[in-house]
Amino acid sequence: MALATRRLAVAAGIDRGPFEDFLIDEARLLDERRFRDWMALFAEDGTYWVPSVADQKSPFDQASLFYDDYDLMKTRIDRLEHPRIHVQTPPSRTAHIVGNVVIEHVDDGKGESRVGSTFMMVEYRDDMQRLFAGRQRHHLRRHGETFRIVQKRVDLINCDAAFEAMAVPI
Amino acid sequence: MRNGHADDIAKLIEPGRVDRRVYTDPDLFELEMERIFGRAWLFVGHTSQVPNPGDYITSELGRQPVIMTRHSDGSVHVLLNRCTHRGAKVVNERSGHAQRLVCCYHGWAYDTDGRLATVPVAEGCGAGFDKDALGLARAPRVGEYRGFVFASLADKGPSFEDHIGPMKGNIDDLVDRAPDGTLALDAGMHRYVYNGNWKLQVENVLDSYHVPFGHASTVNQQGVQFARREGDQKGAAVIETEKKQTAASWKDRKSFNAGNGHGWTSNTTLDDGKRSSPVFDEYKRVLAEKVGAERAAEILTPRLHNSLIYPNMSIMGLNIHVRVIKPVAVDRTEVNIYPIRLSGAPEDMNFANIRLLNVTHSAASFVQTDDLESFVRAQKGLQSHLTDWVDISRGLGAEEPDTATNATRGLATHEMVVRAQYKAWLGYMHEAA
Repeated sequence: MALATRRLAVAAGIDRGPFEDFLIDEARLLDERRFRDWMALFAEDGTYWVPSVADQKSPFDQASLFYDDYDLMKTRIDRLEHPRIHVQTPPSRTAHIVGNVVIEHVDDGKGESRVGSTFMMVEYRDDMQRLFAGRQRHHLRRHGETFRIVQKRVDLINCDAAFEAMAVPI
Repeated sequence: MRNGHADDIAKLIEPGRVDRRVYTDPDLFELEMERIFGRAWLFVGHTSQVPNPGDYITSELGRQPVIMTRHSDGSVHVLLNRCTHRGAKVVNERSGHAQRLVCCYHGWAYDTDGRLATVPVAEGCGAGFDKDALGLARAPRVGEYRGFVFASLADKGPSFEDHIGPMKGNIDDLVDRAPDGTLALDAGMHRYVYNGNWKLQVENVLDSYHVPFGHASTVNQQGVQFARREGDQKGAAVIETEKKQTAASWKDRKSFNAGNGHGWTSNTTLDDGKRSSPVFDEYKRVLAEKVGAERAAEILTPRLHNSLIYPNMSIMGLNIHVRVIKPVAVDRTEVNIYPIRLSGAPEDMNFANIRLLNVTHSAASFVQTDDLESFVRAQKGLQSHLTDWVDISRGLGAEEPDTATNATRGLATHEMVVRAQYKAWLGYMHEAA
């Protein structure tokens, strides 16, 4: 069914290229620790959400690993740049890989789209390497020649596990 | 330390210092599991987690896997999650609903009160097979206060009332904030782990000394922490930036030792007189409607920051939550943090509390992550054996009685409460059961 959906999207003349390019650029900003540039990809009403249970319906009535609006994202990044953030001394290094991109929905009238993808992020810090993986869904809004993120939702396959401290966005 | 002789254990604790082995010795950890987590009253869960007959949650008391169930007659049971046949863990979900708890291995089925109901191919059981004696093992003693369920794995020891008595007011302080007078722990949980001893988290709960430095990354250039709660106009004043030192108002905060290792810290330096927002004001109105304006104002004037119910639970009054500490190994600990829904409060107020907890205490939060880093580094540093002592002497001798609360009072930046925890620790540890 997913395959058929994608064929329909392609048949409708939707080029996956610009979406894929956007996701790759976004991942690269995180890997280069350019957090302010990463944040600038979000719309001002944008949110970044990492649920803590599978198929979580709402960020409001349940705990989440991350649920940042624009203000909180800014506070988070101020902290990531703070000289005495102990949990980033030394800082994390990450490598993302994003693939299996599917254009799930496009609304030309509103200039909005939903793009699903699969990701892996390897993080190394202080002699420890660990792997995060899952599906992510970007709700995007057309912005000139590119997009702004209305919501980035990251569904980790181990979202309900007990985690060691996580400092950087996924 | 394998034999756990009282004299050897007593030598680990001095008035203002403890031996590093209390954090690093695997044999001592085994003794702790036996003598503290095998005896003490431990928080298991909240009745709101099992609202209907057949509901269950699973957890661990120390390292013992347990199930808390609601039976068909409405009673709550704390059962060991171990089949009495060949030992498999019976329930494998963290929560759920079932008529019977059925072991995956051979299909032994238990009622939700723990009784063995059926075994497959019953005719193969020998003549001496006594089904009644093969129910799930249960915690010998269970106590409940305002929905908070505690269990002791020992059949003897101080009563639940003796244990919880001094801390009832701290539980009331939280529960009374719900307009309907009850809480619900039904908004998921935060789970984190760290490579460090369980006591590092327990000690940290009432440690106000670490905040200005340990959480420096959450404090802005004006020395004020980010605004935390719905309706706060600004965050707590933590540092006096001109003097580059801990703010006087922070230093004036008090801590209280209530005996048995229990204690609490007094409120932060937030200006609650100015707390206001449409969501908070509506909550305040609803609460006042239920309990009267005077009582509502009293309830909403925070008295407490963190409360520790030794050895495995804390309650936070600021960004409200219940925290459960689960030792895994001498150098590994899991912590579960439950957001709280105040029954009868407007949903937007509950949502605001849940969202705030993501920011302060999720595994990816702004606050808890720097604590976890400190715990991990403490465990690493404590491997050093040329310095065996850990200093906990701040404020030694400066304790004074607090007649209003029947507790002992000190400054929150002192280490009186840590010393009190080791007094309780020694009480549990110094003799075999």
